[in-house]
Amino acid sequence: MKTIVETEALTKRYSRKTVVNELDMKVPQGCIYGFLGPNGAGKSTTLKMLLGLTHPLQGSIQIFGKSLNPKNRLEILKDIGSLIESPSYYGHLTGRENLEIVCTLKGAPTPEIDRVLALVRMEQQQHKKASHYSLGMKQRLGLAAALLGQPRLLLLDEPTNGLDPAGIQEMRELICSLPAKTGMTILVSSHLLSEIDQMATHVGIIHKGELIFQDSLSALHQHSRSRLHLTCTDNAAALSELTRNSVPASEENEKIILHDTDDHSVTRAIRLLVYAGIGILRVEETQVSLEDIFLHLTGKKVSL
Amino acid sequence: MIRQLQVEQIKARRRHVWAVTAALGLLLCLWGTFNYHNANAQDLAQGYSGLFYQLPLLNTILLPLGLAVIASRLCDWEIKGNTLKLLCTLQKKGSVYDCKALMGLKHLFFIALMETAGVLAAGAYFHFTEKLDVRLLLLHFIEILTAGTFVYLLQQTLSLLWVNQLAPLVVGLIGSFAGLFSLYFPKEISRLIPWSYFSQFTPLRMDWNRQTREMHFHPAEFPTVLFLGFLAVTAGVYIIGKQLFLRKED
Repeated sequence: MKTIVETEALTKRYSRKTVVNELDMKVPQGCIYGFLGPNGAGKSTTLKMLLGLTHPLQGSIQIFGKSLNPKNRLEILKDIGSLIESPSYYGHLTGRENLEIVCTLKGAPTPEIDRVLALVRMEQQQHKKASHYSLGMKQRLGLAAALLGQPRLLLLDEPTNGLDPAGIQEMRELICSLPAKTGMTILVSSHLLSEIDQMATHVGIIHKGELIFQDSLSALHQHSRSRLHLTCTDNAAALSELTRNSVPASEENEKIILHDTDDHSVTRAIRLLVYAGIGILRVEETQVSLEDIFLHLTGKKVSL
Repeated sequence: MIRQLQVEQIKARRRHVWAVTAALGLLLCLWGTFNYHNANAQDLAQGYSGLFYQLPLLNTILLPLGLAVIASRLCDWEIKGNTLKLLCTLQKKGSVYDCKALMGLKHLFFIALMETAGVLAAGAYFHFTEKLDVRLLLLHFIEILTAGTFVYLLQQTLSLLWVNQLAPLVVGLIGSFAGLFSLYFPKEISRLIPWSYFSQFTPLRMDWNRQTREMHFHPAEFPTVLFLGFLAVTAGVYIIGKQLFLRKED
């Protein structure tokens, strides 16, 4: 699959603190790339570097196959829409006038304004002053501005921040519908795993400025396998019996854990224990959640 | 650049910046010419000289604060709306600074134009008997533009750098007072106060007769070296201001 965004050893340091460290990001064309990480992990700084708003200490950025530099930055950005951190808007102007500004600067035709207003479902509110908008409407206005000029790549930094549940749902649906409607690639950052789980096709997990996981969402889900927990009358004897018969198992929190959970393996393990005269008190199946995987990857409990 | 200037025009909608400019110009004209209602023959005989001497003093008092208000009104929407990071993905950051400067200088130009027109109108309305010295009129116009450009660029830079828009306005207010009090200082000291330059280039001297309580105006030499030096400092303010703005991370 063709790569739209590729960074190599991207590093950013503020004073003595390294906020992004040797980041190698690959965003495939046409995907929704969820850029996941706890607050302060370096997501916004990375997105700002992709837009040339802040300069990396070292490393390179390739967008649409072109190396990003101060000379070609604006040329490349013509094909990128962005919504970074809080929405940008002129409160004394109407929503439509706000879009008129972006449209003029992008050199896009005026009918584009009506198209993006329809996309974000804001036709009714376009003549209201932006200062009178709710936060959700301001976010949608920001998204509409990012969509002007039909960009090939959309960078969205925490687009659901501060929205109420209905607003989050609406924004999520909107983002998910865009690749099919417009064929664009979307890079969306969030500190919420559930959000990325519901939106993204590919995931990059950043922690303390380092990319600790990058693959498709399905690859991440493969880590999310189920495990079978057994509570026996004598756990030590049970583990010994299973190990002696080459059944993969371990003991954790006073429970025997069976690593192979297919029907045949489970039947065999239980039969072995029953024949050995060990009583089975409880059989529980648990799923390793994405949260557990994230915590395992980041190595500690962080806010998600 | 034309596109970006068009955008600045759109942004200025409903901000009533022109109302501030017009009010400032009108106030200067009315305050400067108000006394001529009671003018005697001698006042009318040196009517233009009197205005060219008095208006720079009024400019020193009113324009630092007035230009601070205009700069703030042209810049604060970028700070309030958090729009610089959006603009910088659509245009060169330096062009944001340049377009704002051009917009502000356009307003300054109209203030200078209003004041100059006010001088001509006052001459016609009050029937000044003094012959108009076009050279003085032009120098007066240039003086407003030169000192105003310095003050405006300073105020614009502060308005773009500082989140709290009250702070640049306080600087403008301090400028007005500093400019006013600098008139009582020796020349060597007053020349160190940038806001005083609204009245530093006036090529007129005034003699005040205590007994008759009459003023007499005499031509003086235009301070060419000082003027050129001030232009160089203004260019420096532009370069430094723009660099500070470019270095500011959004």
